[in-house]
Amino acid sequence: MAGLELLSDQGYRVDGRRAGELRKIQARMGVFAQADGSAYIEQGNTKALAVVYGPHEMRGSRSRALPDRALVNCQYSMATFSTGERKRRPHGDRKACEMGLQLRQTFEAAILTQLYPRSQIDIYVQVLQADGGNYAACVNAATLAVLDAGIPMRDFVCACSAGFVDGTALADLSHVEEAAGGPQVALALLPASGQLALLEMDARLHEDHLQQVLEAASQAARDVHALLDRVVRQHVREAALLLGD
Amino acid sequence: MLQKREKVMHLRTFQGRTVRIVREHYLRPSVPCNSPLCPQPTRCRNDGKLLSSDVTHYVIPDWKVVQDYLEILEFPELKGIIFMQTACQAVQHQRGRRQYNKLRNLLKDARYDCILFANEFQQYCYLPRERGESMEKWQTRSIYNAAVWYYRHCQDRMPVVMVTEDEEAIQQYGSETEGVFVISFKNYLDNFWPDLKAAHELCDSILQARRERELESQENNGKEYPEHLPLEVLEAGIKSGRYIQGILNVNKHRAQIEAFVRLQGASSKDSDLISDILVHGMKARNRSIHGDMVVVELLPKNEWKGRTAALCENENDDKTPGESPSEPMPTGRVVGILQKNWRDYVVTFPSKEEVQSQGKNAQKILVTPWDYRIPKIRISTQQAEALQDFRVVVRIDSWESTSVYPNGHFVRVLGRIRDLEGEIATILVENSISVAPFSEAQMCEMPVNTPENPWKVNPKEEQERIDLRKTHLVFSIDPKGCEDVDDALSVRTLINGSLELGVHIADVTHFVPANSYTDIEARTRATTYYLADRRYDMLPSILSADLCSLLGGVDRYAVSVLWELDKNSFEIKKVWYGRTIIQSAYKLYYEAAQDLLDGNFCVIDEIPEFKEMDEKSRQAKQDELVWAIGKLTDIARHVRAKRDSCGALELEGVEVRVQLDDKKNIHDLIPKQPLEVHETVAECMILANHWVAKKIWENFPHQALLRQHPPPHQEFFSELRECAKAKGFSMDTRSNKTLADSLDHANDPKDPLVNRILRSMATQAMSNALYFSTGSYAEDEFRHYGLALDKYTHFTSPIRRYADVVVHRLLMAAISKDNKTEIKENLFSSKDLEELCRHINNRNRAAQHAQKQSTELFQCMYFKDKDLEIEERCIADGVIYSIRTNGVLVFIPRFGIKGAAYLKNKDGLVISCYQDGCSEWKPGSLQRFQNKITSTTAGGESITFSLFDHVTVRISVQASRCHADTIRLEIISNKPYKISETELSQQNSLLMKNELVKEVTRSVEEAQLAQEEAKVKIIQEEYQEYCQTKGTSLYTLLEEIRDLALLDLSSSYAM
Repeated sequence: MAGLELLSDQGYRVDGRRAGELRKIQARMGVFAQADGSAYIEQGNTKALAVVYGPHEMRGSRSRALPDRALVNCQYSMATFSTGERKRRPHGDRKACEMGLQLRQTFEAAILTQLYPRSQIDIYVQVLQADGGNYAACVNAATLAVLDAGIPMRDFVCACSAGFVDGTALADLSHVEEAAGGPQVALALLPASGQLALLEMDARLHEDHLQQVLEAASQAARDVHALLDRVVRQHVREAALLLGD
Repeated sequence: MLQKREKVMHLRTFQGRTVRIVREHYLRPSVPCNSPLCPQPTRCRNDGKLLSSDVTHYVIPDWKVVQDYLEILEFPELKGIIFMQTACQAVQHQRGRRQYNKLRNLLKDARYDCILFANEFQQYCYLPRERGESMEKWQTRSIYNAAVWYYRHCQDRMPVVMVTEDEEAIQQYGSETEGVFVISFKNYLDNFWPDLKAAHELCDSILQARRERELESQENNGKEYPEHLPLEVLEAGIKSGRYIQGILNVNKHRAQIEAFVRLQGASSKDSDLISDILVHGMKARNRSIHGDMVVVELLPKNEWKGRTAALCENENDDKTPGESPSEPMPTGRVVGILQKNWRDYVVTFPSKEEVQSQGKNAQKILVTPWDYRIPKIRISTQQAEALQDFRVVVRIDSWESTSVYPNGHFVRVLGRIRDLEGEIATILVENSISVAPFSEAQMCEMPVNTPENPWKVNPKEEQERIDLRKTHLVFSIDPKGCEDVDDALSVRTLINGSLELGVHIADVTHFVPANSYTDIEARTRATTYYLADRRYDMLPSILSADLCSLLGGVDRYAVSVLWELDKNSFEIKKVWYGRTIIQSAYKLYYEAAQDLLDGNFCVIDEIPEFKEMDEKSRQAKQDELVWAIGKLTDIARHVRAKRDSCGALELEGVEVRVQLDDKKNIHDLIPKQPLEVHETVAECMILANHWVAKKIWENFPHQALLRQHPPPHQEFFSELRECAKAKGFSMDTRSNKTLADSLDHANDPKDPLVNRILRSMATQAMSNALYFSTGSYAEDEFRHYGLALDKYTHFTSPIRRYADVVVHRLLMAAISKDNKTEIKENLFSSKDLEELCRHINNRNRAAQHAQKQSTELFQCMYFKDKDLEIEERCIADGVIYSIRTNGVLVFIPRFGIKGAAYLKNKDGLVISCYQDGCSEWKPGSLQRFQNKITSTTAGGESITFSLFDHVTVRISVQASRCHADTIRLEIISNKPYKISETELSQQNSLLMKNELVKEVTRSVEEAQLAQEEAKVKIIQEEYQEYCQTKGTSLYTLLEEIRDLALLDLSSSYAM
């Protein structure tokens, strides 16, 4: 069998999207009552759940408390049933730790942590089904959860991935496209200011093409922002209706 | 907008477990339908290729039809083909990359009227596969559903025919929808294309081949070859270093036994394997064919074999000569084929006697390919007897492990064996050259230039271009009688005292817009093909010989490079590139220019431009021209000296060879004293190429087309060093400069041939110069070894080479980039450019081979049927240039022929010579040394031949029915042959070659004339018998015109 053709001559990707098109995104806020904030997102077949506690007092060792701002604590995990083959994933494996760190960096840049000195904000994210773009789904879910918790942020954080095939940048890679081994960029954007909260790439990409890929990724992130914005407004409208009664 | 669906698949992992995979599948309301009948073209976003509007129906092939009959769908006569995405995917997944790429190219090519319809992404066409439905059924159902949708989409205005091989589908869908017909492919051809005979024949032969194959796989008894390993195992093996990947190269002279696998750069990590790997015997070759990308496994060291160094004729018996082979080299066997490289093969059917010997099963016939390196092919056909005297094109279908020979099918007839046209067609097919006349669509794009309606300079162009008609004295220097003049020169003094040198190249890209039909055709051809007696142009002759040719006295568009030089030091101060209008004042030829340069003015009368002038203005003009040529020569000398002194080169042989590159004929040995004008013109062209290369590289560092000449491997020089040592010269091959120096010193005053042979050996040791895209190499690999330039490209012959056309477009884009008006859409991306370069390199190689083979064909026809004893021209002087265990290789300067001469004949007799030099066969033995070979007869007499010895040889032709005839040499004396005359003819060797071609052409024509006379006689007889019209029939008239065309070509053949 010949290798998979990621982008056909007619400009279609394997799943029928064109280069700049996102997968279908669906999201809900406030899925759990016990947590301070929670959200669930589906990006194509990637499904993620985010829960936020805080800001609250430091738990565990108080020595970790920061005198001038809040500590953001992120934990990432994948469900055993999230991939095609069932696999036990213990807490604190390397990939999860790295992802947790990246999420932490992202949200430290977005949350106004200096408003809560000596306190802690916990963000727990779990991937229920993985089909490419795990980081992006987690960031988007966590953004919604943080908003749901009412923690002040500079802006939404919207993330999206992008790849590069045959001189064309592809937005929002699926698992098939990720597995093909081309370069992949993950980007988290603060859409209002256009600042990047995080940019990560772990393959080789020629310098000349970087701009093109970045533009595709940030355009995709802006599209995600429009969608998340609609979800938040819908949620607030519903909540307001309930309060009004 | 998009609708999301999910596809659930169950795949088996390498470990054997099943995995459930869910993939998303997005559908959209509109995909491009590319039909001119589309009611909402903007909604469908129909951009690019559309189906033509003058078809009577659309045809939609089923997946199986696309898989099996793609060759027939490639006929340009079949129009309005819609390939469904489902069918394309079936090809991609089940038929491999090669056929899929063929399909892709078909879809991209604007000349074929076919499109792809992405039915699986269309909301209303997509049907999910039902539970328990087989893949095949689902594919057919999807394609039918899409066909119905398409019919409705075009508002029922165009009937749609779906052709399928599935009988059930015909039953089920045949009458389901009005306007959508479902019929079988055979039925379709019969009903819609009853006149397309070629397609019917091809269809029959494919059908038959398939039936045979099925039959065979049923009986499936004893296996002839081991099975190939699965792809994953091969890939893993290559990665771990257990297997080695490379291209299989069959030894032409021992096709049955020896083949070599040339390693590919990447896999040479283990440095202990530097040489090629020998694959010994057909069994070890395991069904791979010359040119395939194969995977080999090395055999244990004790099974390694050596290659034979003895000369041998191409006979099919496996009898190895008694000679002991050379020392063992790495030997391996093929375990798998990564990529098959099958093409069309020219074959010959066996003659009557041979058919009988092949047994009663006359349906299957073994045919012999023209190329020795290809194994015999088994064909199923009933026409074997009718095709006996013809050269025939076949294709290979498969090679099962149960069969000794591959199976193939018959495609078309080329021409009679031994007929000049048939043999030339054979050479063209064998080199995959296709030179159909230019189509009407292409000719429609051409500008008009007739006496009634002459071509004029467009006033709009006049504004945009710099006008050099009044200001510059432009002239061209070319070989005598040249038609396609693509370069002209100018030189003048500027007001500030500096000199201005100009090179003006025909502006082909103005007439050939990117992606026009002409452009696509030129890209496919890639170069003008020069055969010994004719040429096949890359561009239509209205361009190549008229509007793009910078003829004297007419206005022409050009692309110019102008340098401002310091008047004393000739340092380049400024360069300007741009589009211009020029009028060439003189069309000179080399000899005339040289005479003017030498102050020999009597030649002036021969230049037509001077004839009509009165005495006075003539003198002034003449002085002007002579000054210009003189100045040009000064500049060229200086530029060359600078190139030399830059620590670079003095490689005259290579220099001339590079100049010959376009037509690179190895037999064309370098003229001993080329005119200085040759060098001047060449130097100006090199300068222009170099500066253009710099310019386009600076502007497009990742997508410029340049030309590199990689430094040669030192091992290849060993033969040259040894030969030189035999004559007492030492060769320093460490760098191009040292090599050039030592070649200059290696000059035997008594025998000028020595130097020429050494130079040609050095040339052969070098690798070929290649085009490449700058995006795919590092900058230090750009160097041109032969010319010692850091960047080089081809810019100066856009009429003859497609690479130059690309470079012209790049240069134009670079200029517009300078002017801040970017036009980038016509440029290739680095990847596309790399592919294009590979194609052009490939075509260039094919052009060289075709030229060489056609020259050999003419040589053979020249010497054929000559009485060896009487004809004087069959006896010539030769020089030994290489020694083998049972013979020597001889070069004959008079005819430019290289060939083998045996010292031991088939009966085991060796050669011996008398006192007066005459030779005779006697029993005895041979002994080979490094630089000489000694033949000792039983009587004790011995005779030694060493390198560079002159001998007298008799030339004869060894006729062969299935292959090309070959020249045979026989040493008849160990003394040189009539020295005085040979020296005389040395100077005329080029001339001789032309005469040879002319004579063969003439004799062919005579034969044709004789035939025609016979025909006329028959016609007269028929007239008496049947009272037919008297006088010339239309047929004979046409025949005459054809002859005229042949004459024309041969006389205008130049360059």
